Amino acid sequence: MKSRLSLAVLAIFALITVNGQQVAYEEYDLDNGLHVILHQDNTAPVVTTSVMYHVGGKDRTEGRTGFAHFFEHLLFEGTKNIPKGKWFEIVSSNGGQNNANTSQDRTYYYEVFPSNNLELGLWMESERMLHPIIDQTGVDTQQEVVKEEKRLRYDNSPYGQILPVLGKNLFKVHPYKDPNIGYMEDLDAATLEDVIAYNKKYYVPNNAVLVVAGDIDITATKKMVADYFGDIPRGGDISRNYPKEEPITEEVRSKAYDKNIQIPASIVAYRTPGFRQRDAYVLDMISAYLSDGKSSKLYKKMVDDQKQALQVGAFNIGQEDYGMYILFSLPVGETSLETLVTEMEEEIAKVRAELISEKDYQKLQNKFENRFVNSNSSIQGIANSLARYYMLYGDTELINKEIEIYRSVTREEMQAVAEKYLKPNQRVIIDYLPEEKMDN
Amino acid sequence: MKKIFITIVFVLAAIGVQAQIDRSKMPEPGPAPEINLDDPQRFELNNGLKVLVVENHKLPRVSIQLTLDNPPILEGEKAGVSSLTGSLLGNGSTSISKDDFNEEVDFLGANISFGYRSAFASSLSKYFPRILELMADAAINPNFTQEEFDKEKEKLITGLKTQEKDVSAIAGRVRSALAYGTNHPYGEFLTEESVNKVTLVDVQNLYRNQFVPANAYMVVIGDVSFDQVKELVTEYFTPWTKAAPLSLGYSEPKDAQYTQISFVDVPNAVQSEIAVQNLVNLKMKDPDYLPALVANQILGGGGEGRLFLNLREDKGYTYGSYSRLGNNKWAPSTFSATASVRNMVTDSSVVEILKEVDRIYKEPVSEKELKNTKAKYVGRFVMALEQPSTIARYALNIETQDLPKDFYKTYLERINAITVDDVQQAAQKYFNIKNARVVVAGKGSDVLENLEKVSFNGKKVPILYYDKYANKTEKPDFSASVPEGMSVQSVVDKYFEAIGGKDKVDQIKSLKLVYEGEAMGAKIKSEEKRTADRFAQTTYMNDAPMMGVIAKGDELYMKQGGQKRPLPPQMQQDMLSAAKGVFPEQNFVAGGMAKIAGTEDVEGKEAVKIEVPGEVVQVVYYYDMETGLKVKETQIINMNGQTQNQEVLYKDYQEIDGIKFPGIRVGSMGPQKVESKLLEAVINIEVSDADFE
Repeated sequence: MKSRLSLAVLAIFALITVNGQQVAYEEYDLDNGLHVILHQDNTAPVVTTSVMYHVGGKDRTEGRTGFAHFFEHLLFEGTKNIPKGKWFEIVSSNGGQNNANTSQDRTYYYEVFPSNNLELGLWMESERMLHPIIDQTGVDTQQEVVKEEKRLRYDNSPYGQILPVLGKNLFKVHPYKDPNIGYMEDLDAATLEDVIAYNKKYYVPNNAVLVVAGDIDITATKKMVADYFGDIPRGGDISRNYPKEEPITEEVRSKAYDKNIQIPASIVAYRTPGFRQRDAYVLDMISAYLSDGKSSKLYKKMVDDQKQALQVGAFNIGQEDYGMYILFSLPVGETSLETLVTEMEEEIAKVRAELISEKDYQKLQNKFENRFVNSNSSIQGIANSLARYYMLYGDTELINKEIEIYRSVTREEMQAVAEKYLKPNQRVIIDYLPEEKMDN
Repeated sequence: MKKIFITIVFVLAAIGVQAQIDRSKMPEPGPAPEINLDDPQRFELNNGLKVLVVENHKLPRVSIQLTLDNPPILEGEKAGVSSLTGSLLGNGSTSISKDDFNEEVDFLGANISFGYRSAFASSLSKYFPRILELMADAAINPNFTQEEFDKEKEKLITGLKTQEKDVSAIAGRVRSALAYGTNHPYGEFLTEESVNKVTLVDVQNLYRNQFVPANAYMVVIGDVSFDQVKELVTEYFTPWTKAAPLSLGYSEPKDAQYTQISFVDVPNAVQSEIAVQNLVNLKMKDPDYLPALVANQILGGGGEGRLFLNLREDKGYTYGSYSRLGNNKWAPSTFSATASVRNMVTDSSVVEILKEVDRIYKEPVSEKELKNTKAKYVGRFVMALEQPSTIARYALNIETQDLPKDFYKTYLERINAITVDDVQQAAQKYFNIKNARVVVAGKGSDVLENLEKVSFNGKKVPILYYDKYANKTEKPDFSASVPEGMSVQSVVDKYFEAIGGKDKVDQIKSLKLVYEGEAMGAKIKSEEKRTADRFAQTTYMNDAPMMGVIAKGDELYMKQGGQKRPLPPQMQQDMLSAAKGVFPEQNFVAGGMAKIAGTEDVEGKEAVKIEVPGEVVQVVYYYDMETGLKVKETQIINMNGQTQNQEVLYKDYQEIDGIKFPGIRVGSMGPQKVESKLLEAVINIEVSDADFE
């Protein structure tokens, strides 16, 4: 090809930043404390209505774990005006889709409708916030459903125990030590009074953000929001004061067993700062450097060249109070888990000891820019990000500005952060092993 | 005065609005949203390449999709050549090596992929010129090397090998072959033999004849300008030589003369694959295309379809049952209603699927079903508009499927106009219940007896037999596989004789066996204790107890970290009837369940099989025809429509205190094999209740 550009020329191109993308939004509070964010985009006649509650797995007392996730289910049971069991039918017979999910930090409910059903979406979410039906039958039913989910997602799914195992090993006193889905005996022990009290405490407008995004008219939407949500009474103030963890200063070794796997996994994990911290962004970049794409360090070495691992990954699991940085690999054939640990540490050690190359740094910047562009490609995704940045990061504008943080991270900073958090004496090594099946 | 009047109107309006919110009523939808479907801009190169451009400046990215709308080709004895051509494209070009190509694409955070008649690329829009250039170079000057060809061929053959015993792969192949005949592009299939016949030259020829611009469409969507696209595509794709694909004739497929079952015997099957199918002449431009889709959706379009509600929710036969209605402008397409079901309910599932197809054929659907299905289509259509790829797909369909320009602009209107009558007419036209093929791939010895009794609308459904490659064959003869004069009793007798004599075996009141092996770098030890009515097995990993199984009386449970976990009742019953006893063989005849299930080769030697069937767990024991020794055991667990298979080989029998025990056990879990050696065998060991707690 005659006009082939060299990589060096491309690198210069890459330094020119993209500014073609701004998510415009408007935000305000209702008198009852409900924060509202509106994002108008009339490209397609679709609207997302969503509510994020600042309540997750960590918001519990000892012996009452898993409540937030339990509520994710319970709050589909019905409301004063939505008959029991009709929630999903209303959504699908109006051409919509809906779902919910719960993390250790927050719970997110959403519907997506053709935009002529905006009012329906708002009605449903306001019904859920104002007067959900919480009775013994619903509690009993959903206890069973959650147990079934636990069997499916954790007990019967290969490598399903990893997150609970990590929580247990990385945290001693902070509620992150317990599984998000909770202990089943805690759920069984929960009384109707406990459940009602939890609802009163956390599922209130002053602990929630409502996002309406898509094909909307701002003025008309504001009025509908006021009509449906304005009367919902404010709840009490919520204060969170969870215990702080002592730093890990000595390597921890642990084993875990999973009956659904045949190939063991080696997990090396580190406790890192909460995702609002700049260092957490730097760790994101380190993890992409190590394992994102076929030319990344760990993948190229362990999977491609040395053929020791079937799969290898580095993940930075961001959370509000503390993060978890995880290296994960599956051995090929006779490779021992110890070898995998050594190989993974070797690459981390390089990040601690020296600067990554200019070219790799530029590739990383390209990757993050790509991610940034694609992260705002759907209205649903934008709605979720707006809610998250407001509620958990405390700055809605990050939806447009987060990329600048990544751009400002330097190679020197990556080295310093690796040195600060990813030393061998700070790690937890978990041998995640197959549990032998019944031999009849 | 006027001013006051206006104020009053405002106040009234405000009050009126307040009163409008009546929470007890579900809000009604507003007027249907207006759909804005952009018409893409268009230009054409002299070589025939047609380019559609959808400018979308919302995000600074771009996607490029190249589709060659050529008629299907018959690959004949070299089936596999198109698949290999697809894998070899996109590995650089005659001037850029594969590694440099991949590295550059990766560095740009972009993505380029190829099929034998398609290509796709996406990137940030600032890299559009370079990505388009790379894509054109790889497409027009492909880098076909013998080395890559050999590698891809080997991968393809390995893939075929892993599917050899795969029931769903066999079923899929036979379905298409029966629907179209093997002399049709949609009916032919790859075999190791046909792939081996393909050479690099064939790939180059196919590329030359088929990867040509006459019927090529390129769709560019994203943050680019029409002028820029036109300029760059013209520059990079003009060198693509003008040529039309070679077109070849092939046979015209026909439906069955009458509804019949086409049975494929797959002896290792633990589930049966069922498809009720017929050919359909359906094109997107047909006026009843949308009613036909709606009819199919109501029958089996998903979790709310009738097939799912009947076969899964109501009967629990399967994890899911669905129907599919295809359309094609080149050749007939197919309608099929399918399910994967456990062996025991194969005949009942066939009947239920036929019933559902018959019902939608004979009876009008309900107004409510129609209304909900329309809402689903409207919602899906509207939501899909958010993706720029949808707009591209629509534009491409209009061009290639010969659709009216306003096909998608009037889509919602036409969906909403569909009546119950339209749906029934479409069902009657496309679900051909009188000439259906019911293709069943499954374990004949388990399912045929009942399948032969299946009748539909008062008539027996005849069964025709096929092998795994869709050749007609005779009905498999299962009785012939039971060796003359052999019975469960005789096999058990011979086995006891072989391990030391029935007298000695009968004197054994308790037994302890310890095996040890290594897996994934850990020492795995299994210790088991047996008496006539009790059983305890513990697995140790590096000497730490990991898990146990305990059976006593009618109870069977697992033990883990001091916790007892009872198994589902049916599973307990099945396992107890198959595995209880100092030697499970002692209960075979008395239990009444065990039966001879033919013979099979085990590691090069013929072995007779004794099967102990069950609802959930089925155990098969294998005994060497010559020596009488037990050489293998398999266990199939079938729950909630899913199955799991475990296997143990017994080898190197050793005599201990006059009784022979396998010196080596090889267990397999999925792809992994674990070999363990006999450490200890103790006859008439003292056991206490504590051993079975």
